[in-house]
Amino acid sequence: MSKSSSTTISRNRAWSGRVLGQARHNGHALGLLVLAVMVAVMFSALSPSIYATPLNVQSIAFAVPEIGLMALAISIAMTTAGIDLSTVAVANLAALTAAFVSLQGQEAGMSTLVVSVVAVAAALAVGMLCGVLNAAVIAVIGVAPILATLATQMLLAGLAVLLTEGRPIYGLTPELTAVGTGTFAAVPTVFWIFLLVIATAAFIMRRTGYGLRATMIGANAVASDYSGINRSGVIFRTYMLTGTISAVAGLVMVMRTVSAAPGYGSSYLLLAVTIAVLAGVNPFGGRVAVWGVALAAVVLQMISSGLNILGYSAYIYQIVQGLILVGVMILRVEGIRAVALVHRARSGGAADPVPPVIDRPYEEGHDAQSSSGAAYSSHTHQG
Amino acid sequence: MTADVHAERAATSRRPGLAALRGRNNEGVLAGVILLLLLVMLVVEPSALTWGFAGDIIRSGLVTLALALGLLLIIISGGMDVSFTAIAVFSGYATVRLMTDLGIDGRVWPFLLAAAIGCALGSLNAVLVARYRMETLIASLGTQVIIRGFLLAFVGSTYLATLPPQLDSVGTTTIFRLGSSPVNIVVVPVALACVALALILRRTMFGRGVYAVGGDKESARRVGFHVARVQTGIYLLAGLFAGFAGMVHVVLSRHASPFDLVGMELNVIAAVVIGGALDRGGRGSVHGTVLGVLLVSLVQNSLVRLGISSYWHVLVIGLVILVGVAIQARSNARGAKRPRILEEVTP
Amino acid sequence: MSERPFALRASGVTKSYGGVRALAGVDVHVRAGEVLCLAGANGSGKSTLIKIISGVENPDHGTIELGGTSAQRLTVKEAVDRGVQVIFQDMSLFPNLTVAENIAMSARVSSNARWISERKERALARSVVERLGLRLDLDAEVQDLPVADRQLVAICRALALDVKVLFMDEPTTALTWHEVETLFRVVAQLKEQGVAIVFVSHKTDEVLDISDRITVLRNGEVVADGPTAEFDHASLVEALLGYSATEDRVLSQALAAAAPALEVEGLAATDLFADVSFSLVQGEVVGLTGLLGSGRSEVAEAIFGKVPTTGGRVRVAGREVSIEGIDDALRAGVAYVPSDRLTQGVFLDQSIATNLVSATIGTVTRRGGVLDESAMAAQVDDAVRDLAIKIGEPTDPARSLSGGNQQKVVLGKWLATDPGVLILNGPTVGVDAGSKAAIMEILRRKASAGMAILLISDDVPELVSICHRVLFIRRGRMSGELAGDEITESNVRERLVT
Repeated sequence: MSKSSSTTISRNRAWSGRVLGQARHNGHALGLLVLAVMVAVMFSALSPSIYATPLNVQSIAFAVPEIGLMALAISIAMTTAGIDLSTVAVANLAALTAAFVSLQGQEAGMSTLVVSVVAVAAALAVGMLCGVLNAAVIAVIGVAPILATLATQMLLAGLAVLLTEGRPIYGLTPELTAVGTGTFAAVPTVFWIFLLVIATAAFIMRRTGYGLRATMIGANAVASDYSGINRSGVIFRTYMLTGTISAVAGLVMVMRTVSAAPGYGSSYLLLAVTIAVLAGVNPFGGRVAVWGVALAAVVLQMISSGLNILGYSAYIYQIVQGLILVGVMILRVEGIRAVALVHRARSGGAADPVPPVIDRPYEEGHDAQSSSGAAYSSHTHQG
Repeated sequence: MTADVHAERAATSRRPGLAALRGRNNEGVLAGVILLLLLVMLVVEPSALTWGFAGDIIRSGLVTLALALGLLLIIISGGMDVSFTAIAVFSGYATVRLMTDLGIDGRVWPFLLAAAIGCALGSLNAVLVARYRMETLIASLGTQVIIRGFLLAFVGSTYLATLPPQLDSVGTTTIFRLGSSPVNIVVVPVALACVALALILRRTMFGRGVYAVGGDKESARRVGFHVARVQTGIYLLAGLFAGFAGMVHVVLSRHASPFDLVGMELNVIAAVVIGGALDRGGRGSVHGTVLGVLLVSLVQNSLVRLGISSYWHVLVIGLVILVGVAIQARSNARGAKRPRILEEVTP
Repeated sequence: MSERPFALRASGVTKSYGGVRALAGVDVHVRAGEVLCLAGANGSGKSTLIKIISGVENPDHGTIELGGTSAQRLTVKEAVDRGVQVIFQDMSLFPNLTVAENIAMSARVSSNARWISERKERALARSVVERLGLRLDLDAEVQDLPVADRQLVAICRALALDVKVLFMDEPTTALTWHEVETLFRVVAQLKEQGVAIVFVSHKTDEVLDISDRITVLRNGEVVADGPTAEFDHASLVEALLGYSATEDRVLSQALAAAAPALEVEGLAATDLFADVSFSLVQGEVVGLTGLLGSGRSEVAEAIFGKVPTTGGRVRVAGREVSIEGIDDALRAGVAYVPSDRLTQGVFLDQSIATNLVSATIGTVTRRGGVLDESAMAAQVDDAVRDLAIKIGEPTDPARSLSGGNQQKVVLGKWLATDPGVLILNGPTVGVDAGSKAAIMEILRRKASAGMAILLISDDVPELVSICHRVLFIRRGRMSGELAGDEITESNVRERLVT
């Protein structure tokens, strides 16, 4: 008896660290790491004198955070089977807020340190409020996340234009400028901020009740309803979280460039979605890939930098981005096909038909629909 | 025909006349909103409601409408697309580039060539979606950057300020004038494209297949549709419409810039969704999309006519879109009803 | 009759999914003008066979002979062209299209038509509807129709074509008596016209009533085949289930001083049910049964806060509770194992561990919302041990488990909430015999420990084997009760159908 209980305990230890049970997906992060190393080796070989220098590594580290944070926001929304297309607009609004508060505060002659703190707090609050707006449209009105955030991104972009009358705002406090352009231990401070946010997000998504609930809702919204998980509560938290992360991205943006303008970074949106997908998030929900986002953002920035050094245009980088995105998906499908074929050959019979890797409409509404369908099928399944 | 429809409706009383007026995809509601807006304009600024105003609305909505057609097909089939602007700009720009480089000119064939290029580019989406069953949004995200990158890297990244003379003449040909506002002749091919798509959707088996795939893919398979083939057709046709739209844009703007269009996909998606296409598929119509584009264009032009600062425009359009998708979402929340079980006690 | 030619002859049909054999060399045949009943319990391979013959899936081995031509594999189109039509269990209709468009769909696809005429579509749909003497609004969208009407639309769609072999997969599940009569009349009509009909059902009365011949499938093999006259109720049930259906009636010990656990009084929900009253005491296992669409699931979901009620009172453990949402039910100590395991119960791609804690995330979270992973691990280990769930690693996805073990996981996640009242809706559907017995044993054990259990099921032997009392519901109203020794299979069955 005592023996059996002790084995149980030791088994607990063996897996308790990964109770969330996504160990299977770690292969994806490993693949990204291998890709990162390959990219680094390739470009270092092609351009040893420039690519593999501390200066270049530092410039990559400066460029990664803002796009990486936006991708992080989108990936978290994707975990709940949603998407946040408003992330760039929110980032901009937050950046403008920070710049505006800095300007006003300094003109009023307040201590720049106080102004900095207020500016950061105001920017984060704006981000969170935008998240509340998104969540309200999604959870209360019932608009699919893709459409809801598409509409709010326009609304927020419009708000930014209206408030600034289209003009950029200069005049950040020295403290904020220092954070945006400075380094700590040879690594840009903004990259440390990025890592901090990533680590926090990873903790929230993997180690908290909220994170687990968000994952469950993304995996199967109907079953999570039946499990007593409060769907709209989780959606509110999710979009408040993505809004806040977007605001951090906006802060990084404004601190790095020392100015904010409406419309800045609008080309980031699709790149951010690309990074999120490349990171291994399933757009249909149920998967967490926070560190994957960090890796994917770094990989893409490394490629961008490498191509740039080799003299290729930004357009080539675009093509490469697209090819990577599409290639990853094709490899997944062909991989499954190959496994199925091997299985077929081995078993002598036919294998499963190739399962669709992703073959499900991607929004919440469908689940609501299928829950009513499920109510019917519950009748047909039994009997 | 109509008589017995009414008789049947009266008999079952499941679809009261009001619902019929609303239309299958809320087109009626949309038309009502447009009328209401016009009414507001009539009260607030009666002098603005001129034929010239109508002309402005048509002109500004034309490119959006042309772009919306292919997208509509994809959305009805349950997909989402963000690559159509890249396809459009690629097709339009590449055609003009080719004409300039080779020194050839024409009026009609450039439209056909652009459509053909668009169709070829659409095949990329078709392969990814039909063969690799890739999620449509992700697939089109990939093709968007690939197509646009290819355009800028290999076809050209320079602004072509002048079009070949004959092609340019299309852009200056006015078919009729609405008040002071000239209406360009390309309104004719765009209208024809609308009619063609409407016919495809309503009168062909392929069109029915689009709705079937959007309604329930598995059921479509079970009644004998070849789903992958239908999807291939959808993405090829959508590419064709996008290519055509690219040329419409080039002709109307009277220049060819490889940097145009990309970035406005979300506005077009919004117009189509407001027009009654449901993001989960199975719903949508050409006349709804026309109304959706009309609404957005009407709002934009009304703001101009009312002299409202341009800083308000994006915000107001964003609000209109938000309200539009919210109304669609609410009205589609129906259908989640449970079957009736309880039998009334017979006296 | 035996001179009639074979309309369909399938021989040696074999099909595996992954490692699981769904069909193992099945031979089925049906002649023109004959009604064959294809009977079998859940998971016997009926649905797979239908999918293969209708071209939706390809067999691994075997031949399918239709109207004289034989083929290894068929596409849907080829099957339709040879006169095969299926009325699928889920109906496979298009919710976004109108009744007329749905009815005309198969015929239009099969005719290779490129163009559509709404006028012709309507005419076709109307002719079918009239031929069957039905009343359907041709312009209504299918998503707005009640289930019974959808079923009729599905039937009309199949008959809009020149059909030679018609499969009907559980076509009566959603129909009222009157509509079933209509359906049977249609079947007789078609039979006269020389259509071969394969009627799939596991309702024995229906099977004996309508068919000329019966083929029984069990675990992917044909276990009985012969003219209907050779079967009677008992022999059919035995063939279906593979063992003498009478399970031992083993009741958990009633508690000496049992307090009321769940009292329902005059519960009502618009259009769904009314005047529903019953009660359970601690340690009692009560069956709630009725035919499909009788309202049994809706009553359960109402008590669980999933279906809004419009009247009545619910008391849990003697205290009146207002249950407006699932969280209210959980707080009151009511747990519910839903009927559709795959969509409502289990998170297939999530780990077994997360599945097991999914209903108790609140209790495995420390202050500040951080997950207490050792508490989670302990809970998971307890459930795995207590319910004897056969798993590899707790981190494996739930998809990797057998149906029976998946169901145990769902059961385990609800038992973890430590409920006073456990409601189960069809807990052994699609579960193998061994797991079924194990689940019943778990329920008895929990009841002995004081849990009140409301078992919703139409598996008669199951009800008889475990229930202290059985309640009956019919068309949204309570229609009777059996208790103690009155609970025998024949009594329950009789109450169920009358």
